Amino acid sequence: MAVNRRQFLQRMAATGVAATLPFSLVEISWGMGKKPTTEHESFTFAYISDSHLTHIKGNQFTRNFDQGLRKAIMEVNLMSPRPDFVIYGGDLAQLGKREELDHGLELMSALRPPVHWVTGEHDFYLDMGKFWEEKISPLYYSFDHKGVHFVVLNSILTYEDWIKRWSTPMERMLNMARLDNPQGSPFMVGESQLQWLKEDLAKYDVGTPVVVLSHSPLYKIFKPWNFWTDDAEKVQKLLQRFQRVTVLHGHVHQVLYNQIGNITFYAMMATAWPWPYPVSYVQKPNQVPKLTVFMNRADPFHERDGTGWDILDMDSGAITNHYQLWMNENRTVAFDFKLEHPVDLKYQAPDKRIPPQFHY
Amino acid sequence: MKSLKTWLPALTILALTPLAQGDEFTDEDLKRWQAEYEKVMEKGEKLFHSTLGSNKVSCDQCHPNGANTHPETYPKFQKQLGKVATLREMINWCLKNPLQGKPLPLDSDEMIALEAYITWERRGVPLAPGKH
Amino acid sequence: MKYLARVASALVLGVSAVNAGEVSLPQKETLLGLPPVPVPKDNPLTLEKAKLGKQLFEDKRFSADGAISCAHCHKPELAFSDGLPVSEGIGGQKGTRNAPTVINAAYYKTQFWDGRRPSLEAQSKDPFINPIEHGLKSHDPIVQIVRTDPDYRKQFRQAFGLEPDRITMDHVAQAIASFERTLVAGNSPFDRYQYGGDKTALSASAIRGLAVFRDKGRCVSCHVIEGSTALFTDNQFHNLGVGFDKIESRLPEIIAAYRQAKQAGKEIDETVLTQGEMSELGRFIVTGDTQDIGRFKTSTLRNIALTAPYMHDGSLKTLEEVVDFYDKGGRDNPMLDGGIRPLNLTAQEKSDLVAFMKSLTSNRFANLQSNKR
Repeated sequence: MAVNRRQFLQRMAATGVAATLPFSLVEISWGMGKKPTTEHESFTFAYISDSHLTHIKGNQFTRNFDQGLRKAIMEVNLMSPRPDFVIYGGDLAQLGKREELDHGLELMSALRPPVHWVTGEHDFYLDMGKFWEEKISPLYYSFDHKGVHFVVLNSILTYEDWIKRWSTPMERMLNMARLDNPQGSPFMVGESQLQWLKEDLAKYDVGTPVVVLSHSPLYKIFKPWNFWTDDAEKVQKLLQRFQRVTVLHGHVHQVLYNQIGNITFYAMMATAWPWPYPVSYVQKPNQVPKLTVFMNRADPFHERDGTGWDILDMDSGAITNHYQLWMNENRTVAFDFKLEHPVDLKYQAPDKRIPPQFHY
Repeated sequence: MKSLKTWLPALTILALTPLAQGDEFTDEDLKRWQAEYEKVMEKGEKLFHSTLGSNKVSCDQCHPNGANTHPETYPKFQKQLGKVATLREMINWCLKNPLQGKPLPLDSDEMIALEAYITWERRGVPLAPGKH
Repeated sequence: MKYLARVASALVLGVSAVNAGEVSLPQKETLLGLPPVPVPKDNPLTLEKAKLGKQLFEDKRFSADGAISCAHCHKPELAFSDGLPVSEGIGGQKGTRNAPTVINAAYYKTQFWDGRRPSLEAQSKDPFINPIEHGLKSHDPIVQIVRTDPDYRKQFRQAFGLEPDRITMDHVAQAIASFERTLVAGNSPFDRYQYGGDKTALSASAIRGLAVFRDKGRCVSCHVIEGSTALFTDNQFHNLGVGFDKIESRLPEIIAAYRQAKQAGKEIDETVLTQGEMSELGRFIVTGDTQDIGRFKTSTLRNIALTAPYMHDGSLKTLEEVVDFYDKGGRDNPMLDGGIRPLNLTAQEKSDLVAFMKSLTSNRFANLQSNKR
């Protein structure tokens, strides 16, 4: 007699209301924390991101960043059971140089599972993605896996007049590379990709779990550091009608997770280095999703502190993120079907926090 | 002729009133000195955003806008150095280790410029010496 | 003649200091440079327990052939190690790991090279039932002995207030751990220089070596020195690449074999010490997390001059070899600890580092210098 959740959501979508379920209905249709029935097979995949391989000269690359990527690759190869595939989350290179991308491809070729690539701004802005498209991967595309629809977006595009402003490609790249650049320009997906996305999604019914992979977060966190996508709301609107959407992104080099309507957002770790949380820069107004339990504060002492990679389990349309942190305790953030948002399985409650998770 | 009595108070006042010289400074002086500081601070900003070591890494890569440098907490016990240390010593630690470069003399112009920039980006935050 | 007499008396002194059964609770002076000895609430430290523990530590009956005691691999005259690259247990069987010294082991947060036991008490029980160490099938023979031997009965009654039939293996472990908690010492030339205010305590070379240790050598990253104390360990686990070549090319197969053994319920202890390859996996064996492959616990460097050879497999024979190893940047591998990198030390810096490390020998154990092979 209780309205089934799927029917409710379909009705909500039809009336254009954002998919936020009233708490009571959740309890009626599922009981306490029971998952909805799966329409797809569960599977596991790995995520490596933000390696920022840096060319010094000749055959020399910045040692620390090479080490991070090598470690992640070895660990992915030792996963048992083997993951279905690996996502590379973008920023393979630091300045998009051919040497850096080639070096990255060489290291990544050791991976046994197949790789799907997402481009980052550090890969893109030296030649506007030319090498990436020719040698590595299309800049945006989609694929299906075991009943789940994956969409890869190039979310690090920006305004044409900013792109045209610079006199050399390297000048353009350096200005995009600098995170705190007062002359920076916000990321965006752009109209043509939005159009493509709309058509791509039209083929799928609302019950299909959707996973969107992008480099920058598809929501707005902190503009001064481009933890931001200018047309995020437009992307979110296109995803609104689906029951279960997850966005996986890189770029922020920190543990970050959030829920906006029907969309769960997870930030992936960087193999290269950790970044401060926006709350650490007090000269500008800042915010971080309230949900996020911060990662253990980076201790610059150890080169692999605050870095790592992710193991992701896809089950019942939602993703559990197992953060593999190399010098810190691993973290597991899973989607709570009762609360309708991700929670850290150990530290979510305020009284469970530990001192290294306090950032200031 | 007025008696000494009437002149004395005036003389005393004159003697006790300091002349308008010495350490007084004007608005112009303040502006000029602030500009001097800003010049050095901007130099520090440039240094902070350049590759000071041997491996193409720059400070701002880990510390955008100087975030997470916490200048307000120094001096404090610094694990890396095994003792209570100052911000400048930690800057040198970063130059030698993550940046694989050479340290700066603690009183050099470059070090002062870096400190000027780092503290500028953290202006307004109360002192919290010793805080980890 | 005079010289010989001096040498002779020094030797006698050395030998007698070791054999005298001089168990004593940690003295303040001995602890210069060290924090107070950590003592668990459920095993308060008493002289009676420590003396009993020493006896248990040296009791050869606690083995399958009556020839092996803890002191077999942890020889008092060899700074509670055995001077071998890897230890040899019952019947001369060779293990896979170098015997760590017991001196200052009380300051570790975990025991064994892979940190698989959380306390001295827990550690002490394992070797008895390891087939290549003491070779017993269970702790029962030990419990049997301590409950029936008149001397032990008396001591357990005194130390624990226990009637013989109430004595358990845990009490044996508590006594042994108590003895080990008295094997602590700071008060080395370094400590006197750094914390005792005696600026003449270190040679010029050692002083330079201390500066290298804290700076260019980056040693202090893991071999911790702090403002008022120095443990010389961060109690963490790091991969230096030592011995990694034994497993690197076949790592996937070895990991798979380990995972199978674990599922079949085999004991870590046994697996680790009877199979070289398993042993090289290090901390991974304990956590099952691939990031821990090849990671081993940071050893304290106190009294390091007395505990050659070095590393978990004893593969580095001298301190000079150790310094060379770090100078090269360890042995590169994908799991290499981030902090390990080539150091570009000069010959002078290297020898100064060695001189510094030699200055970490505690006064209390200085006489053992002459016993080194």
